[in-house]
Amino acid sequence: MKNIFRKLAPAAAMLAMATMASANAQAETLTAGVEAAFPPWAYVEDGKYKGIAIDAMRAIAKDQGLEVKFKDLPWPSLIPALVKGRIDLLVTGLNVTPERAKALDFTIPWWENDDEILVPKDSDKNLITAMCCGATIGAQGGATQFKWLEDNLASNDKVGVTLRGYEDYVTAIADMLAGRLDAVVTSTDTAEDFIAKGRPIKIVGTIQQNQPQALAVQKGDPKKLLGKINAGIMNIYKSGQWAEIVHSYAPQSTIRDIPTSMPAYVDTYQGDIPGYTK
Amino acid sequence: MIFETLLSQMPYLVHGLTVAIGLLVCLLSLGLALGLVLAILEVYGHWTLRLVCVLFERVFRGIPAIVLLLLFYYGVTDYIEMGSFTAAVLALGLRSAAYQSQIFRGAFLSVPNGQMMAARAMGMNKLQAIRDIIIPQALRMSIGPWTNEFSSELKATSLAYVIGVVELTRQAKYIISNTQGNILVVFGVVALMYFVVNRAGNWALYRLENRLSLPGFEHRGDA
Repeated sequence: MKNIFRKLAPAAAMLAMATMASANAQAETLTAGVEAAFPPWAYVEDGKYKGIAIDAMRAIAKDQGLEVKFKDLPWPSLIPALVKGRIDLLVTGLNVTPERAKALDFTIPWWENDDEILVPKDSDKNLITAMCCGATIGAQGGATQFKWLEDNLASNDKVGVTLRGYEDYVTAIADMLAGRLDAVVTSTDTAEDFIAKGRPIKIVGTIQQNQPQALAVQKGDPKKLLGKINAGIMNIYKSGQWAEIVHSYAPQSTIRDIPTSMPAYVDTYQGDIPGYTK
Repeated sequence: MIFETLLSQMPYLVHGLTVAIGLLVCLLSLGLALGLVLAILEVYGHWTLRLVCVLFERVFRGIPAIVLLLLFYYGVTDYIEMGSFTAAVLALGLRSAAYQSQIFRGAFLSVPNGQMMAARAMGMNKLQAIRDIIIPQALRMSIGPWTNEFSSELKATSLAYVIGVVELTRQAKYIISNTQGNILVVFGVVALMYFVVNRAGNWALYRLENRLSLPGFEHRGDA
């Protein structure tokens, strides 16, 4: 009897170690940071996370066998939280920019946005008078639209516009409807969402930006996630699941080819892209 | 239409409020325990201890709550693993300890000196005198100023969303962003919810003060 135990002991120990190791591998739940006040990409309704980015991330996780939980942080906290490793992934309508590419690693871009010039529905402003000659324009502070307006219009004395920054677009639109702004510039998705939800505003012009959007991981990809997520993005795109998700939240949107334009300033788009082959 | 949305989302607002109240209870408890110790050391401690306490109190009273929250969430968590809620309890609780220590310090100092001398003359040691003579009187006098701390910390919990605590203010933000508007109505309702909790808390504290008051030892009029 004793002999049997002796023979079995190492096997039992190995089995125990193996189950512990696999338990460890499974216990690694990734934390995806979202700004859950940003429809149609990520928001909370009836106490549940919803939106294009949320559903797509769930589909990618399922496709790649990853465990993901979401954590809501306000927009200005998201990038610092990723840099600090408080979250493993940034999953929101995140624009790819040179500054951000220095602090984060981007996945392949899954979306492309233009910017829309919004005015109140009853306004007689057109795209020239709303954006020139003494007009006051609003945008979200720190957003790509704000930076574009600053670099291209506000800093040009001949144009003569005043630029105002807001914490979010809801307050910017509210301020415009109260008569304190002539125009607000938002991304196409945001503009369409405002109109779909019945705000009395209209689009008077489009600034074509072809602004790519992607997910992001920590610089250097310490958890080796880029390959899995890129592969997951391509899989849900090819299976048609991506189009289904996008259209369930934004029926009027056109699906872009994935990957959309990949700017040269992003390191992770150079050479061999993990998880993606042309 | 927004009122229907508000009605259907009310359970989540109430849930946000319970998170806020939970945060408030934790941070005030931490602040109470630590604040009392700090006050005792500041009034009766050796000068070195006094110096440490004064330093702690100056630092935590001198930094805005939102900056403390960010420092704890992004700085301290590098060394000690903790979630958003714990980080918020620590940041706001330590700050509250600094404020509460000043409430208690004032109360200790307002107990007439003769009380301590009489207690010592009766053979009590310093610790016994503080515990049995000074604290029972000082705590009764602290309740009034402490209501102020209760109110201001309840309002401070509304900042915790910056580090990812989904409390009442953040829940309100969800409704606003889902409907892309209605800022005034939603925050109006949220303001009312904070106000009701604030009044209820203050009412309970004043009742406690009245119930504990010792005839002949009141230091404030009948409130």
